[in-house]
Amino acid sequence: MSEEAWTKMLVVSLALHIIVLGVFSIPIKFPSKKIDLSSAYSVNLVGSAGGLGGEPGGPKAAVKSKPEPKPDKPAPVVKEKKVPPKKPQPIQKEDDAVSLSKKKVPPKTKTTKEEVDRLEERIRNIRKKTDYIDVAKAGSGGSGGPGRGTGAGIGLPGSGGGSGAPLDPAMQKYLLDVYEKIKNAWNVPGTAKKELETIVTIKVRKDGRITDINIEKRSGNRVYDESVLRVLRAVEPLPTIPQSLNADSLEIGFRFVPGGIS
Amino acid sequence: MDVSSADMYTGGLIGMILSAGPMAKAVMVILLFFSIVAWTIIFMKYRQYSRTEAEGERFFRAVKEADSFKKLISVYRDSQDNAFYRLVLACYKEVTSRQKDNPGRIRREDIPAIEDMLRIAISDESVKLERRLSFLATTANTAPFIGLFGTVWGIMDSFREIGVRGTTSLAVVAPGISEALIATALGLATAIPAVLAYNYFLGRLKRILSRMENAAIYLVNILEK
Repeated sequence: MSEEAWTKMLVVSLALHIIVLGVFSIPIKFPSKKIDLSSAYSVNLVGSAGGLGGEPGGPKAAVKSKPEPKPDKPAPVVKEKKVPPKKPQPIQKEDDAVSLSKKKVPPKTKTTKEEVDRLEERIRNIRKKTDYIDVAKAGSGGSGGPGRGTGAGIGLPGSGGGSGAPLDPAMQKYLLDVYEKIKNAWNVPGTAKKELETIVTIKVRKDGRITDINIEKRSGNRVYDESVLRVLRAVEPLPTIPQSLNADSLEIGFRFVPGGIS
Repeated sequence: MDVSSADMYTGGLIGMILSAGPMAKAVMVILLFFSIVAWTIIFMKYRQYSRTEAEGERFFRAVKEADSFKKLISVYRDSQDNAFYRLVLACYKEVTSRQKDNPGRIRREDIPAIEDMLRIAISDESVKLERRLSFLATTANTAPFIGLFGTVWGIMDSFREIGVRGTTSLAVVAPGISEALIATALGLATAIPAVLAYNYFLGRLKRILSRMENAAIYLVNILEK
């Protein structure tokens, strides 16, 4: 058949391919489910960079520890939830801790500087009493008053860092190990935007098994959240909790931002 | 790798293809080329066959009315670029060359020679009709293998990635495999229409050729009148 007809058909064929490819390349976007977590009350005694980084500097650090991208600062956080509170003070502290660590709870988000200061004061008082002995008992449930004090010391957002108080070295090392392991295994999705942030708390058993994964805050990006959950499943088992910590289980919170984990 | 894992959800097919490795891209380009050429041939053949079939219809209508060659040829004065006209013409030329010494009449012993001539004309036409149809068969047979090659290559890459990263997390493996599988998908998407079209055209070709043979018999009959 004639040359002209060939060209014509070639054009038709090209057009067909472009149309088909075009149709298939329309971006498929899945609406990401947004779960309203505001009603769920969960206590998060988040101790941020302070304890591990040994960052000094009182209230300033405390304010800083609110979710805010801090890529290179390793800062696993420990929280305790199920220890029956025996002192009124720790309870108070727990409430405030929520307000500090979780932006999501709107009325509590506005942590004033006075509040922070007040908190610092209290923590320091408790620290004096407990003298960091019972850090390890954070998750052991039965450990009463003194254990709580230190537990909170680790956990409270900024409080650890704020007062520049050192963590129990064993705990610090353990948290660093966990942090390193997760950081190494985590592939940040390439298209993740800078402002994405997923907050997750996990419960670790003595043998390093993760018994519970709890998303405290979703980033809104499904792929990103998935990647976080994937890495948590992938790193299992975590390092075993050292004997010296004397804890049956620990709850650790992580904040995943594209720059790193804290 | 990381880019592709997110693109899978947001970038669609193009994003996936663009984020693939060089070998996967090469395979996809080859497959795209095959696909474009195959579809060009499909359109081309469809037109050619439809036209030839329409001409066949016209020929049979004309041949039933016409009682001589002159009349039959006059039907084709306007459109001479068609298979059935060439058949008539081949026959006519043969007849006139044999009638040189004895115009207007045809001898019985010349009939087999004219039939041979028609057979040759038919086989010429069938070559024209079959031309490039073999490309469809080639596409149908090779495209899946080319795609498979791309996939195997991509999966090899993925496994190497596992080795390098030292993690078997699905996040590392899955994007590579998913990328690799596009190659097979494209291979199949190229091959399936080619297979369908090839078989369809083969059936049509058979019908057209049998019509041509019938036409040759009609022509000989006219001569014998």
